[in-house]
Amino acid sequence: MRYKRFIFNALFGIYGFGVLAAASGCGRGGDNPTDTLLLAAYTVPKEAYEREIIPTFQRHWQQKKGRRVVVQQSYEASGAQSRAVVGGFEADVVALSLEGDVDRIVEAGLITHDWHARPWNGYITRSLVVIGTRPDNPKAILDWADLARPDVEVLYPNPKTSGGAMWCVNAIWGAGLGVGGGATAAPDSAGARALVKGIQARVKVMDKSGRESVTTFERGIGDALVTYENELLLRTMQGRAISFVIPDATILIENPVAVVDRNVDKHGSREVAEEFVRFLHEEQAQHAFAHYGFRPASPKIMKEVSVHFPEPARLFTIADLGGWAQVRETLYGEDGVWTEVVQELARGR
Amino acid sequence: MLRRRPRGARAARAAGAERSALGLRRAALGYVGLFVALPVAALAARALADGPASLLAALRRPEAFTSLWLTFRLALALIAVNTVMGTLMAWVLVRHPFPGRSLVNALIDLPFAIPTIVTGLMLIVLYGPQGVVGRFLSERGVEIIYAKPGIVLALLFVTFPFVVRAVQPVLMELDRDMEEAAATLGASRWTVFRRVVLPALLPAILTGAALSFSRALGEFGSVIMVAGNIPLRTQTAPVYVYGEIESDNHAGALAVSLVLLLGSLFVLIVLHRLQTLGRRRDG
Repeated sequence: MRYKRFIFNALFGIYGFGVLAAASGCGRGGDNPTDTLLLAAYTVPKEAYEREIIPTFQRHWQQKKGRRVVVQQSYEASGAQSRAVVGGFEADVVALSLEGDVDRIVEAGLITHDWHARPWNGYITRSLVVIGTRPDNPKAILDWADLARPDVEVLYPNPKTSGGAMWCVNAIWGAGLGVGGGATAAPDSAGARALVKGIQARVKVMDKSGRESVTTFERGIGDALVTYENELLLRTMQGRAISFVIPDATILIENPVAVVDRNVDKHGSREVAEEFVRFLHEEQAQHAFAHYGFRPASPKIMKEVSVHFPEPARLFTIADLGGWAQVRETLYGEDGVWTEVVQELARGR
Repeated sequence: MLRRRPRGARAARAAGAERSALGLRRAALGYVGLFVALPVAALAARALADGPASLLAALRRPEAFTSLWLTFRLALALIAVNTVMGTLMAWVLVRHPFPGRSLVNALIDLPFAIPTIVTGLMLIVLYGPQGVVGRFLSERGVEIIYAKPGIVLALLFVTFPFVVRAVQPVLMELDRDMEEAAATLGASRWTVFRRVVLPALLPAILTGAALSFSRALGEFGSVIMVAGNIPLRTQTAPVYVYGEIESDNHAGALAVSLVLLLGSLFVLIVLHRLQTLGRRRDG
């Protein structure tokens, strides 16, 4: 009997402890004399923000205002982050992978200013879509056409599960079209479709994000990896280099940043948020991004670091493909080229 | 006066018991309503908001129904495997004690405790191209990870405990007199198992099978790691749903989720019916 009661008490105690622990998790800290800023970013620039930019900004704010600033950081896939903010995650500043993810927040009425009005059209970092290969490039992969070869296995993330992954297929599509770089010939849709199909046929695994795709490649799957240049440069910096080639024709990736008006007004954090975004445009931050593998959006800093970032022969932008709205429709819509190509391949046509 | 008092007290006590039973029932139903029924109802309402036509259109997309078809097929196959292997495992644990039994017993619950994404990772480490087993097999042209066998392995792992844990306690409580009587009357061991033990275990086996089926339908974390996720080939329904949410096609995601939900509800109800039928036949 006593034994049973002991067990009962012990269980009850554990239960009570669990409830208490859960309840205390909901509590908020006391008053905070410092400024706080909530940054919602996509996962790729995490290291740059966490290790370099945010500590530097905190010193900068201390010198300028004599106040401490706590920067709370959240890193998620760009689309998920964007939806979280729309759904009520009260980020003061968003740093995302693509325009559409910021526009979703604009459409929800949370960003009320024109975020393109900032320097460099509202973008703070750039990158390219490149092709990662095995050491010493044993399959001699030099350009997109090589990825359609039957002896090559390809990895790229799924454009359906990762907005950022659309950059990869966009790059292949644009290269096939023959746009950008002062091209004068009419876009070759049939050729582009054939290239997209040829490469999709060689795709072995479609991970849900760019970073996971790199991880799968590191596990030994595939001969070629379509991904972002900055992702591979970051790996090199971390001592796990993956060699890569820059195709002759590829797309310029541009990553936006914006202050979320409704949240900063609610938190009274507009001043620090605006200063943070302004700071991202400054030399220190631009250098930090370059250090972590991004091409700086600042033309001046880009010139300084250009030896690390060779220019491809034919560089095109999303605008050359007709803009995001059109690309979403013509490539990934229900009757989009990529959607159809995947269906055809599954049916063995 | 003196006689009536105890009766009044008894009546009061009875009324009190009734009240507290009512209170308990309300608490239990309120709880399940709030935390289970309400979210499910919200999902169903949203999925049906645009009318049945758009729901059907969303399901008619090849990517949607192919992924559903793959998922249901795999979940059904897992019922077959889990009922046999789970019952066998429970049988061995209860009836054939062996050294290290308690360790194995603890091992069975492990899939419940491991985050499913870790399950995926374990399978990749073992069967991936750099894994010991994976390298051996891929040299012989057998592909496990990033193909359908990988999905099956992941689902087997996460659904393994259900049948074992449902059958084991029933088997432990089972009265062995009946079996001994049957054996004395000349029945073979297989006949004893089939005619005496199995009917008693059937409700538990069905419960375990239903749970494992539902779990297999909804499994996401481990599957997305090992499946390869090529649409129309190795993409399961939960992974498809994830993709549609990520690409802002909520209607498509909700339609497929609704089918998964109804599918698992249907199987749970059917198996429950089978159980009650079985019980009635016994009685």
